[in-house]
Amino acid sequence: MKNTFAFLTCLLALWSTSASAQAQPATLDGKREVILWGLSLGPDTKGQDAVIREFERLHPEIKVKLLSMGAGNMDPQKLMTSIVGNVAPDAIRQDRFTISDWASRGAFRSLDDLISRDSLSDPTCPKKEQYYPAPWQEASYEGKVYAIPTQADNRLLYWNKKVFKEESANLTAAGLDPNRAPRTWSELLAYSKILTKFDKSGKLIRAGFMPNFGNAWLYMYAFQNNANFLSPDGRTCTMNTPEAREALDYIVKGYDIVGGYEKAKSFESGFQNKENDCFVLGQVAMKIDGDWILNTLGRYAPELDFEATPAPVPDDRFNHKGRFANEKDTFVTWCGGFSLAIPKGAKNTEDAWMLIKFMTSFEGRMIENKAQAAWEKMRGRVFMSKQIANIEANVTSAKLFRPASPNFAEAIDAHTQIAQSGRIRPATFAGQVLWSEHVKALEAACLKRSSSAVALQDAQIAVQRELDAFYNKGKYPVINLQIPAFLGLLALVGFIGFFVTQFARARIGKLERHEAKWAYLFVSPWVIGFLLLTIGPMVASLFFSFTQWDVLNEAHFVGFKNYQDLFGADWKSVSKSLTNVAYLTSVGVPLNLCTGLAIALLLNTASRGIRVYRTIFYMPSIVPVLASAILWTWVLTADPGKGLINSYWVETITKWLHVDPPAWLESAEWSKPALIMQGVWGAGGGMILWLAGLKGVPTSLYEASAIDGASGNRQFWSITFPQLSPIIFFNLVTGFIGAMQEFDRVYVMRPSLDGPVGPDDSLLTPAFHLFNNAFAFFKMGYASALAWLIFGLVMLVTFIQWKLKDRWVHTEVSS
Amino acid sequence: MEVERSLGSYRGEFVKPEVLKTAVKDGLLYAIGSAAIWIALFLTIIIIRDVVLAARSTNETHRRAGIVTKGPLALALYFLGFLTATPFEHGGIQLPIFWFVMPWSAWWATGLVVYAIWSASKNLFSISDSEKTSGLVTAGISVVAAIGLIFIYHTDPGNKIKLLKGAIPLSLATIGYLLCIFVLSMIAIGWSANSAKARGWTKTIATQISLVVGSVIFGLPFLFLLITSFKEDRDMSSKTGIIWVPRVTDTIPYINPDPTKKHFTGRYNDREVEAVSIGEENGKMKMDIFRPLSVRGITYYTTRDQLTEVPVQANVYTAEVNKVPIKGFEKDSLSNGNKIISILEPESMKGQEVTVLPEKATPVRHVGLRTQNYSEAIQYLPLETANGLVYLKNTLFLVIMGVIGTILSCSIVAYSFSRMKFPGKDKLFTVLLATMMLPGAVTLLPQFLIYRTLGWVDTLYPLWVPAFFGSAFNIFLLRQFFSQIPMELEDAAKIDGCSYIKTFWNIMMPQIKPALAVIAVWTFLGAWNNFMGPLIYINSPEHMPISYALQLFKGDRDGDGEPGLLMAFTAMTVVPVVAVFFFAQKYFIEGVTLSGLGGR
Repeated sequence: MKNTFAFLTCLLALWSTSASAQAQPATLDGKREVILWGLSLGPDTKGQDAVIREFERLHPEIKVKLLSMGAGNMDPQKLMTSIVGNVAPDAIRQDRFTISDWASRGAFRSLDDLISRDSLSDPTCPKKEQYYPAPWQEASYEGKVYAIPTQADNRLLYWNKKVFKEESANLTAAGLDPNRAPRTWSELLAYSKILTKFDKSGKLIRAGFMPNFGNAWLYMYAFQNNANFLSPDGRTCTMNTPEAREALDYIVKGYDIVGGYEKAKSFESGFQNKENDCFVLGQVAMKIDGDWILNTLGRYAPELDFEATPAPVPDDRFNHKGRFANEKDTFVTWCGGFSLAIPKGAKNTEDAWMLIKFMTSFEGRMIENKAQAAWEKMRGRVFMSKQIANIEANVTSAKLFRPASPNFAEAIDAHTQIAQSGRIRPATFAGQVLWSEHVKALEAACLKRSSSAVALQDAQIAVQRELDAFYNKGKYPVINLQIPAFLGLLALVGFIGFFVTQFARARIGKLERHEAKWAYLFVSPWVIGFLLLTIGPMVASLFFSFTQWDVLNEAHFVGFKNYQDLFGADWKSVSKSLTNVAYLTSVGVPLNLCTGLAIALLLNTASRGIRVYRTIFYMPSIVPVLASAILWTWVLTADPGKGLINSYWVETITKWLHVDPPAWLESAEWSKPALIMQGVWGAGGGMILWLAGLKGVPTSLYEASAIDGASGNRQFWSITFPQLSPIIFFNLVTGFIGAMQEFDRVYVMRPSLDGPVGPDDSLLTPAFHLFNNAFAFFKMGYASALAWLIFGLVMLVTFIQWKLKDRWVHTEVSS
Repeated sequence: MEVERSLGSYRGEFVKPEVLKTAVKDGLLYAIGSAAIWIALFLTIIIIRDVVLAARSTNETHRRAGIVTKGPLALALYFLGFLTATPFEHGGIQLPIFWFVMPWSAWWATGLVVYAIWSASKNLFSISDSEKTSGLVTAGISVVAAIGLIFIYHTDPGNKIKLLKGAIPLSLATIGYLLCIFVLSMIAIGWSANSAKARGWTKTIATQISLVVGSVIFGLPFLFLLITSFKEDRDMSSKTGIIWVPRVTDTIPYINPDPTKKHFTGRYNDREVEAVSIGEENGKMKMDIFRPLSVRGITYYTTRDQLTEVPVQANVYTAEVNKVPIKGFEKDSLSNGNKIISILEPESMKGQEVTVLPEKATPVRHVGLRTQNYSEAIQYLPLETANGLVYLKNTLFLVIMGVIGTILSCSIVAYSFSRMKFPGKDKLFTVLLATMMLPGAVTLLPQFLIYRTLGWVDTLYPLWVPAFFGSAFNIFLLRQFFSQIPMELEDAAKIDGCSYIKTFWNIMMPQIKPALAVIAVWTFLGAWNNFMGPLIYINSPEHMPISYALQLFKGDRDGDGEPGLLMAFTAMTVVPVVAVFFFAQKYFIEGVTLSGLGGR
C-alpha cells in the first residue's frame, strides 16, 4: 500500500512537470458568467470568436464560457441530463429542427416574454419580421418562440457546366438545351439519362443525377410536391399520401437511371474530397446540395465552371397547373440550420439573452462575417458568406462579401433569393422519429424492398404511435409523486421497526444488549445505504414503472402500459437487445472461458517463464475499459491501412481465400464478433482463476488414473473438467449478467454517437436501452419498467443457477 | 437486410443450403483435398522428428516401424490432395485452404451434431450398460439442441453458409524463410527446455511455442497503442500495412523575413503562447495563437516589445529540380499547397528557392519517437483543467475516497456480522446476500433523482459517497476472513476491557490486511474505470475524472483529427494502472482468485 501511494505521488509530480506549470484557470474576477454549449471551436472559427470577444468587450462585467460538449454536435443526453439535474448551461446552440422536440418536453425556456419586453426598448431585439419566415417558424413551437435562428442554409441544384458542354451534342440530339439546367422533374430525368455514363462492364463512371446525393432526402421532393408529413394540428402523421408517394417514386425513378440505388451507393463510396471532389471532377453532373459546399468549392476548385439554380420541381408546379394552379412559389427549397436557445433552469438568463441578442443581431452577424472574411483573406482563401436567417444581414453580406468569381457570386445570390421560399420540416416533438423513419422508408423504397406505399405506411405507423403516446397522455390521471416518497418512508419505518421489536423482544442479558447496541451501530452504514440507495430506489422504481413521467412535467398514472410497451410497441428494440445478449453470452462467454482455460492449461504445464507469461496474459484485463475500447476501435478499424487486424487480414486471408476484410464495428454482422474479440483480449483475468482451480485439483486423482492407464485426454475430461465445473458454471451466469449490463465498451466502440447503437442496433444491450430511455429521453416510467425486466431476467438466471448448482456441478470428490 | 450489405464485401462463393449438391461437388472435394495435404504435412513433420530422434533413441525398431507406416500414408495423402485440391498453379506450390463461413447458430448446431455422433459411437467401445445409456442420452440431447439451433438458423432470413476456397502461395523463398524460423525457434526452445531439465521436451516445446505465440497476440495491441502514440499523424494510415517503426520529420530552425509568417512567443492571460502576427490595429499587433493547443485560434492584441521572435521549425524535404536531386527546407507554402523550398544541398544551388508540388516533395525523416504527441495532448485539454491536472486530481480523489470508504464501511459491517451477536442478524445477512446479484440498472434512475434533489448533479459526491455505505460483495468476503480468525484473540482483548471499536481497529483489522489490500485494488480499478457515473452526473470540466475526459477527448480528436494525440492520451490513462499493477501484482492476482469473478 505504501508503495502504491508513493507511486501515485510520483505520478502527480510527473504530470505536473510535464504539463508546463503555467496553467492557471481563467479567473473570473467577480465577473458574471454565461455558459454557452454546443459551439465548435477550432483554428478556423474566427468569426464566431470575434463576436464573442466583441460581446465581452462591450460588457466587461460578463465572461462567456464556451464548451463544445462533443465535437460541435451537442450530445442530447448530456444536455437533457443537465437540464433535469438543474445544472443547465445558460445558452445553447441547437439544430433548429430539434427545437420543438425540446420545447414540447419543457426543456427550453420560451423567449416570448423577453422579446415582448425588449422589442420596443432595444433595437437589437430579434423580431419576427426581420427573419425569413421558414427559420423563424422552425424555432417556434405551438405559437411560442423558443430559439433565435442564426444560419438558414438552403438547397439548390448544382450543375457542372463543363459536363453539359462535353455532352452538348447528345443533349441537343435529345432535344435538351445544354446551356441551362433542367427545371422540371421530367426534364431532370431526361438530362440525367443523357449525362449518365457506364463503362463496358456496366460500372458507373458518371452519374447524371443521384436524387439523394448531396443533401436532399425525401423532404426536398416532398416539399416540392406539397406533401406534408404531418397534419396542421400536428396530431396525425400523413406520410402515406399520394403526394409523398409520388415524390418517393420519383426518387426511385431517379436512381433507376443510374443503375439502381446499390450501384449508386457503391459508386459514391469511391468518392474523394477536396480537389478530387466528385462534382469538381464531373463524376456527378448535377446534385442538390446546400450553400455550405460553396466554401469547399471555393477553396479547392475556384475555377470551376458551374451554376446553382433552383432545384427542378414537378412539371405541374412549374406550369402552375392542376394542384399547383394557385401556388405562389414556383420553386421551393428546404431550409435548415442552427439557432440559439435558453434551456429551462438556466442560472443567468438575462446575460444569456443579451448574448443571444448580440450574436443574432445584424451587427453581430456583420462582425462575425468581417472577421471570418479577413481571416480567410489572410490565408489566401475566398470567403463565402453563409446564408443567414436575418434577412437584412443576409442580403447585406451577400453584397458586401461578394466573391470576385462571378460563378460563386451568382450562386450566393441564387441561395439568397430562394431563402424566401424556404420550407421546413414539421415543427413537432416527434421530429427525431419522423426523421429516422423517413430515412428508413427512403432506403426501403430505393432498395426496392417494398413499394413506396408500404414503406411510407410503415413509417407513418411508427410516427403515429409516438404522436398518440404524447397526445393521449391527458387520458391518464395525474399522480402525486409524494406517494413513492411516502411508500419509501413507510418501508423504512417498517424495516427499522422490525429490528427494534426484535431487539426489544429478545430475551438477552445486559451484556448482550450492550453488544447488540454496538453491533447495530457497526452494521448501520450498510443498513442506511441499503435503505436509501437500494430498497428505497427499488420501491420508487417499481412505482415509476406504472407512470409516464419525464421529471420536468407532472406524472401520469398509466397502469401496465409501460410493461405492455416492452412487449408491444417497443418489442423490436427490446427483443433486439435480448438477442444481442443471447449472442454475446452464447458465443462470447464460452470463447472467453475457453481462451482463459487454454492459457491456464498451458501455463500449468510450462516449466519456465510462467511469471512472465502470466503477466503478459493478465495485463490486458486490467487496462481501463475505456482505454481498451478506444484502442480496439483502432485495432478493428475497417480501413486496412489503419486497422491492425484488417491490415494483416488483407495480407493473409484476402490473399489466400479472396475474402475482403470485414468492416467490424461498422457492419451489423461483424460488430458483435468485434466486441467479443475485445472481450477475449481480457480473458487473462479468467486465466488466473483457472490456474488457481487447476492447482486445487488433487494430484492423487491424476496419479490414480495414470495407474489405471488413463490418457491425458481422458484425464482432462474425467478429472480436470468436473473439478473445474463450479468455476465454469459461475462464469456462465456472471457472463450473462455482465452482457445484460454491458455499457461502457459499447458507448465508446459504436461508430456513431447518436442514432442506432451500432449498425442496425447490433450493439444495443438492455442496459444501453435503459440508459437512452432514462437519460436521453427521461422516459422515467418506461425506463423503470425496462429496469424491472432486466432485474427479472437476472434474478431468474440466478435462481436457475442456484437450483441447478447441485445437480450439474461437481462440488466434491466423491469418496 | 444489413447482412446483404455487409456481404457485399465478400468475393467468396455463396452457397445456399438448398444447393448442397454444388457444395458437395465443388467444396467438399476441395475440403478433403485441403485437409489431406495439411495432414500429410503434419505427418511429414512427425516423420522428420522421428528420423532425427531415431538416431539416439533406444527403441529404434519401434520408431522405424512408425516411419514405415507413416511414410506411405503421407505420400497417399499428398497424392489425394494434389488430385482434388489442385494446389499447383502458376507461380509455384499453393497450399490449399478451405473454410466454412456460417452464422453462430449453424456452428453450434454442427458442433452438437458432431458431438452427438461422437458420444453415440463411443457406445461401440463402452463396457457397462450405464455408460451406454448415458452416451445415448447425451447424443439425444445434443441432437434435440442441434435441431433447435437449425430452426433458429432457418428463421433468420439473412443466414447463409459460405464456402471459402483459397491457397497460400509457397515460393521457394517463403519455404526457406519459414524453415529458418522454424529451426531457429526449435533450437531456442529446445535449449531452454533442456536447461530446465524437463522431461518430455517435445511437449515442452509445443507448450513454449503456444505460449510465445499467445503472448505475441495478447501483447500486440499494447505495442500498437504505444507505438501509435509516438507516431506522426502521416504514419497513422499507410497503403503498405501498419507502420511499426515510428519516424519523425527533420526540421531546422528558420527565421522568416516575411512579417506575417514570423513566429513569436508572448504572454496571453498570464500563460506563454506561440503566435503569428495577423495584422495591426490602433498601433497594436493582432496575434493569432497556434500553441498551446488549448487556446489555439484565439486572437489577441499586444505590443511588439511584449513579444520575442522565435525561429520557425521548418520541415526538411528532398525533391527534384530539373532532374537534379535537391534537399532543402520549406520556407513557405502557397495557398494551393505548393511548397517554396530553400535549397540546402547540393552546395552549388544553396540558397536558391524553388516551388515544388506538394506530392513531389518527400520529407526527410529519421527513426524516432514523436514525444510531442504527449505534450500536445495535455496542452489540448481545456484551460480550466490546468493541463489535465484537474482530471487527475478528480480521479485520484475519487479513488482515494472510494478506497477509504469501502474499506472502512465494509470491514466494520463485516466485523459485526461475523463476530458480534445481535437479534435479527441472520435475517439481515440473508437480505445482504440477496442484494449481491442485484443489477445496478434497477436503482440507477431513482438514485439519480435522489442526488438531483440533494443538488449533487455536476458534483463528485454521487461518485464517492455511496462507497461509505459498503457493498454486499465485499462485506460477504470480509466476513469470511473475519470468521477464520481464532476467537481467542478477541476474547483476550475483551477480558482486557477493550471496547468494541478498539477490538475491531487494533486487533481484528491487522489480521485481514491481505483481504483489505485486495479490496483496495478492486476499488481502485473500479473508480479509475467508472464511466457511466461521470457520464450521467458530471458536466463541467472542473469536475471531470480522467475516464470521461478521455471519452470527450476522443469525440474531438477522432477521425481525421489528430489520432496521435488520442493515442497518447489513451496511453497516459493506461500507464498508471499498469504501474500500480506492477507494485501490487500479488493482490491483483489474489483478488481474482478470491472473487471467482474472472475479469472480463
